[in-house]
Amino acid sequence: MKLLEFEAKEIFKKSGIPVGIGFVITNPDEIDDRINYMGGEVVLKAQVDVGGRGKAGGVIITDVKSARENAALLFSREIKGIPVEKILVEEKLPIENEYYVSITLDRAKKEPVILFSATGGVDIEQTARENPDALQRVWIAPVLHDIPPFMMRRLLNGVPKELGPVINSLYRVYCESDALLAEINPLVTTPKGVYAADAKLIVDDNALYRQGIEVNRDLTDRERRAEKFGFSYVELDGSIGVIGNGAGLTMSTLDLISHYGGKAANFLDVGGGAGEDRVCNAVKLVSEMPGVDVIIVNLLGGITRCDEVARGIVKAGISQKVAVRLAGTNEAEGREILKKQGYMMLDTMDDVVKYAVSEASL
Amino acid sequence: MIYGDKSTKVIVQGATGNQGAFHIDLMNRYAEEVGGFGVVAGVTPGKGGQEVHSVPVYNSVREALLEHDASTSVLFVPGSAAGDSVMEAAYNGLELVVAITEHIPVHDAMKAISYARLEGCSVIGPNCPGTLSPGELKLGIMPVNLSVPGNVGVISRSGTLTYEVVNELTRAGIGQSTIVGIGGDPIIGQTFVDVLERFEQDSQTKAVVLIGEVGGNLEEEGASYTDLPIVTYIAGVSAPPEKRMGHAGAIVAGGEGDAASKIRRLEAAGITVADKPSDIPRLLEEML
Repeated sequence: MKLLEFEAKEIFKKSGIPVGIGFVITNPDEIDDRINYMGGEVVLKAQVDVGGRGKAGGVIITDVKSARENAALLFSREIKGIPVEKILVEEKLPIENEYYVSITLDRAKKEPVILFSATGGVDIEQTARENPDALQRVWIAPVLHDIPPFMMRRLLNGVPKELGPVINSLYRVYCESDALLAEINPLVTTPKGVYAADAKLIVDDNALYRQGIEVNRDLTDRERRAEKFGFSYVELDGSIGVIGNGAGLTMSTLDLISHYGGKAANFLDVGGGAGEDRVCNAVKLVSEMPGVDVIIVNLLGGITRCDEVARGIVKAGISQKVAVRLAGTNEAEGREILKKQGYMMLDTMDDVVKYAVSEASL
Repeated sequence: MIYGDKSTKVIVQGATGNQGAFHIDLMNRYAEEVGGFGVVAGVTPGKGGQEVHSVPVYNSVREALLEHDASTSVLFVPGSAAGDSVMEAAYNGLELVVAITEHIPVHDAMKAISYARLEGCSVIGPNCPGTLSPGELKLGIMPVNLSVPGNVGVISRSGTLTYEVVNELTRAGIGQSTIVGIGGDPIIGQTFVDVLERFEQDSQTKAVVLIGEVGGNLEEEGASYTDLPIVTYIAGVSAPPEKRMGHAGAIVAGGEGDAASKIRRLEAAGITVADKPSDIPRLLEEML
């Protein structure tokens, strides 16, 4: 789950990474006396989860007197289609230099990789493409608690040493917050020291339980309900509902739909060993999506019992067509149940997908 | 047989839960069928002294190994404790851990796999169906009735999609040497390269089917490694960017790892890519 800037900065602060003085507001009237301690100018930053927020009009620099007026303006904007619900009001830092630092996962090396660039405030993917030498990288063994000094020297490559402790703190935040990405862009030097001017943290969904996060905000309501049922579920915009077991098989079903000229409405992996109720819930959930004409149920495997699956489909009793492909334990019983109720049964993945595409509106 | 044979003795960590108990039974039925040892002991902290399908359960890996000889562990421990269990197995000298568990925090997986490597222990998974050498050894949860012994190795990041492909192979009369599900998480122990290295050393394996997914670049790295004839299939061609398709690893982010560019890179390296799973047997036959 992606944290917003002010949430990430709370964590940074606790871990000793300096951030500017600031507070969060939900309407312009919440700007109060605190703003008088921030010097002549302040920065108003929309708390929205989009990249390129500044360019999209999500950041306003203003003098203290016009802060309320400008906050009202910012609240009235949509930043890349997202309404502004919270604004971080922050002191304007007297920036001398800007840097980039991030820590992420290198899947191939199975280790965290730390990226550093002496130019900050930039699109780092563009820097990586156009000027790869400007980007320093070091890989750190996950059994280490701190970045060793030699590694830090190599990373900083002659840049002011005072950045070192902040980067090391960021590495600790990365580990302790179960982060998939910890990023400061820009990391800035000022006459009063080093500051994280922006903050980005993405927390591993599998570790939310131990990070005190109860609700995963990144999900839609239906996706959250699906999560409660234990499904992996993603909404798309086609007309063919998809229920499968296993991520790979379900993804492959989506690909076949597109191969045969159809469009999938969703991805739903019911997981292993799905029984009657799970299947019933899955079928109902997908049938509730607007624009679904036909639903493919493609289940295969050793643990999943086909008779249970069949009963689940019948129990859901939805109005849309259901095209079923079942293989595995108790297959014959499952087929018998569905045949009696007049469901469409097909033998292979190709056949079930072709049938659904022919039944769906495009 | 690249991860063991009939003579391999296995322990199961997380033996007393539903999944653990169910699969101890299935693994031992298969062992009986092929004349192997199968699961000789189970481990669940606090449940020592119980039995699961006649397999004795111990409180720790150490206690189990005092009474039984074993080289391999299959793990059904819940995600929050699975990293610890991998390290326990490695510390006690096991050679191979097959981690079936899903939803392990990435940082735990990173640490545990890194530690296991220091102890000389290989890890398959996490979030994987395990491995099956038809007629020899089953480690994990793969259904056995779809497979027949033969000369084609299968490596995959998915579970059920592997069964789908194995089913297609078997129907086309193509048997399998070993089937390995390496898992769908961003951080996994055995990668395509590791498994292919083992297939290269294996005299039984004459060709390989590699089933990949969107996300990362492990498929390209793996496929270009081997001299064995190889057919690949990449799932997720239709996956939109930034949406996680079930597997935590299957996410197209920052323009990296999308299926189209993956397939382009594979084809540029002269590797055969199947459009759909049902095309795989024909492509293999053309090669062999």
